[in-house]
Amino acid sequence: MDDSTKQVLRQIIRRIPLNKLQNMLSKWEHLSKKQLRSLEFTQPKWLLCDNLLSICEENDLSMKHVTELEIIYRIDHPAQGSWNVCQLIDPEEEAVTADLLHFKQLFKAHLRGLISHVSVKTKKHEDGAIWIRIAWGDNFTQPNHLKPTYVVHHLQTPYVFVSGLTMKHKPLLHQALVLSAHYGGIKDVHLSGRCLTALRDLLMRQYKQVFPVKHPRLLLERSPLPSNPNIQMEHAKHAENRLQMAAEAFGEGILPKLETAVYKLETRFRENGNGMLGRREEPFRGVVKFASSNLLESLKYCVSSGMASAPVTPLLSSITQKGRNYFVITDKGPGASHTPGPNI
Amino acid sequence: MEDARECLRDGVLNHLNVLEIEALELSRQQQLCLQQQSRVDDLRIMVDKLRAQKDQLKARAKTTMSLQQLKAVVHQRNEEFNDDISEEGCSMTAKSQLSFLMARKTQVKDLLQAHHLIGGYDVTETCRGKGVCISIATAFEGFYLETYNLELDVSRAIQICRHNIPPFIPLEKLAQVNLQTDLMGFLSTLSHHLNGFAGRRQQIRLIQEVLRDSVEVMESNVLFNTIVLMCADPEENGRAVLCTLEYSDLSRYLPTKVTIESEDKALPSTPQWKESQSLLLQTPAHTALKALKMKGQIA
Repeated sequence: MDDSTKQVLRQIIRRIPLNKLQNMLSKWEHLSKKQLRSLEFTQPKWLLCDNLLSICEENDLSMKHVTELEIIYRIDHPAQGSWNVCQLIDPEEEAVTADLLHFKQLFKAHLRGLISHVSVKTKKHEDGAIWIRIAWGDNFTQPNHLKPTYVVHHLQTPYVFVSGLTMKHKPLLHQALVLSAHYGGIKDVHLSGRCLTALRDLLMRQYKQVFPVKHPRLLLERSPLPSNPNIQMEHAKHAENRLQMAAEAFGEGILPKLETAVYKLETRFRENGNGMLGRREEPFRGVVKFASSNLLESLKYCVSSGMASAPVTPLLSSITQKGRNYFVITDKGPGASHTPGPNI
Repeated sequence: MEDARECLRDGVLNHLNVLEIEALELSRQQQLCLQQQSRVDDLRIMVDKLRAQKDQLKARAKTTMSLQQLKAVVHQRNEEFNDDISEEGCSMTAKSQLSFLMARKTQVKDLLQAHHLIGGYDVTETCRGKGVCISIATAFEGFYLETYNLELDVSRAIQICRHNIPPFIPLEKLAQVNLQTDLMGFLSTLSHHLNGFAGRRQQIRLIQEVLRDSVEVMESNVLFNTIVLMCADPEENGRAVLCTLEYSDLSRYLPTKVTIESEDKALPSTPQWKESQSLLLQTPAHTALKALKMKGQIA
């Protein structure tokens, strides 16, 4: 094993916490059972790392095998970095019948054609998504495995989730994706977060949405009926309306876990009095950032309890409706400033 | 006993006085209780009366409000009539217009209910007439599967506001074709796509449930339009047979192309397997495979 492989392996072992290491190594399947048993997981990590390195040298493992360990760990714990979402647009005829094998071959071929030293590894996940790990080099240097880019794509859908991509390599990746998935272009959807499953659920609409239908299924969260029939809530109808509007705007049940929503304001400062700020012509630049452990849940509670105004303002409902969490708001009105989201 | 002796010390008459006072006290208390009881009963009766009154008033208010709405519509129409003066003049009086509108409203409601019962699309009004929500139900072999919803904005041009249709159904392409011109046509193609998808997915689910031991789903994709199934020959060496089902027409739940491959090159060309190939083209996959298993052609 050469030095760079050893370095990469050390970095990977450093990143994986001790309690998950045994599981990962057994999933990796490149160590024999005897070797796995010989490792003592109660030792301090640096000692364990050295033992593991010597075992890997015994088995004569190369960079290819080491990167497999990293991809396995990343698939199981996708919340290690933050993910950005892009959408492929203008599908061609072949986009619908996209085949996994063809996509893999085309992608590797295109990327290798665009940049000579690049290492690409693909893996198919159980839910049908394809995970791609890319280590970038350039014309003179070997691929740098310490800073890989991860790409997750669900075939036959236009969405691509990317983590760890630098500005330099962005156009190359986009080009390769567009060509291999048979689309006409790619654009940024302005949606980002740490929880990959949440981003996926939001875009693929895998959370429960509520629509104003004539025969609705009962909303699970309706407040329980008052035990005493003599007590009647005077504002029961209003509370129900608010709950329905909140559910329509944000969904029902378990909501995808978004962490932030950022609104970049480029509007003029509006003030009632004669203050200094209101007289300026140029826009008052500000950024409003909402952060929470589960943003959609908190916004839904704000609306259903009355803290936010009842027909949900489109600024908040666009988060779920358009599937994005970065907005730029200018004075001309939200229609002109928002780039169109993934929905019609 | 001590009490009695004490009382008798003062004399029998005194004792009788004390007992009389006590008896009067007790009867006074009893009367008070009876009064309170009758008051509680009266109050209960009043509560029931008031409740009935409240329900009546509520029902009246509801009908008056709906009447008012219809009256407003009639008023609007009358104004419109007065603006563009017709030659015959407006013959209907306001009252008859009102009853006409009420009849129309009940007719439309009954039509929608009937449409819902036969499994067609449900349409609900939203945003006070500016929007419409359409629910499309999917079903396969007599069982209802999921319902997909579309919210349309009908104020100017028809636009889709939001929906819960999964992204691999080509909604934008279908909308570009005929959303503006022919709404029913758009809804019917969309419904076919969704039902086809739901049907194919349900077939795979049924195969995985019922035929778990004989057939294994090797590969499938999100749209379920390319499926590879593996089954085994019932003989001793149990050669594997791979059936690839391709559905190039996304609105159908039957495949357009079936390929059968096996390690034994001669197997796919035997008349038995040629027959099974055509069977898989004509019946849903799970029934075809069940029939093959019963015939003994697969293990």
